[in-house]
Amino acid sequence: MRWARGRTLTELFAAEARPSPRNGEVAETPPDEELFRARIYGLLARLLAAPPDMPLLASLAGLTTDNSELGHAFARLAEAAGAATLPGVAEEYHDLFIGLTRGELLPYGSYYLTGFLNEKPLAELRETLGRLAVARAADVKEPEDHVAAVCEVIAGLIDGSYGTPQPLSVQRGFFETHMAPWIGRFFADLEGAQAAVFYAAVGRLGRRFIEIERAAFAMDA
Amino acid sequence: MADRPERNKAKRRDFLRLVGLGSLAGAATAVTGGKAPEAQAEEKPQGAGYRETPHVKKYYDTAKF
Repeated sequence: MRWARGRTLTELFAAEARPSPRNGEVAETPPDEELFRARIYGLLARLLAAPPDMPLLASLAGLTTDNSELGHAFARLAEAAGAATLPGVAEEYHDLFIGLTRGELLPYGSYYLTGFLNEKPLAELRETLGRLAVARAADVKEPEDHVAAVCEVIAGLIDGSYGTPQPLSVQRGFFETHMAPWIGRFFADLEGAQAAVFYAAVGRLGRRFIEIERAAFAMDA
Repeated sequence: MADRPERNKAKRRDFLRLVGLGSLAGAATAVTGGKAPEAQAEEKPQGAGYRETPHVKKYYDTAKF
């Protein structure tokens, strides 16, 4: 199935009005290439939190991309979205992350790092979130080390959703402590998962993006 | 060296633009990329095959940090 075409990445992510700092603080708005990182993390978080709905699938299918490295990854995602159906992606999501007893993948940092859920890496993440004053809602039971959650947190650190945009050093600390040790493996697993078709393209984008993030943070050393 | 941070900053910016992260510039309209999980929670299930599983429901709540 084909949906509306011709939407560019730029339009897809130009998105929300730029974050305005709270508390009356004067914060510098991050440049576009930095905000774009937040949008990609946000998109990954969205797709990993739940299967895409029709508007999102249609937007992705209609992307026009450039010749850059990320452009290629987005082109694959667009192609996959164009070939996907709503029931199809819902079923994929179910098979990958939920299953009858469990899904094909367990998208939690603790599991990737220790082989068990809710272990020390989760405790360490909670400590960091406490320091950053980022807290989950009181009634929430899902652990914070879910891949979608950490992607959303770093997106917030970048674009200032939690107050003001955080400097690269803070972003880098979060990335290197709570994401880099496992998240690349998760995205590679997603890319190669048996149940993954549309989500294979999500995995590929995630894997490539994490490699880019790693390289870019290293430049700031 | 005094100008090293600035040089690193430029290096990082050039790299990010090279790999495709520069395309945000000059944009006007948009579909969402960022905050969808929250917005999603309000949506009615659509289409025959859409299943809002307990896990997903639970996650929608989780996503609100």
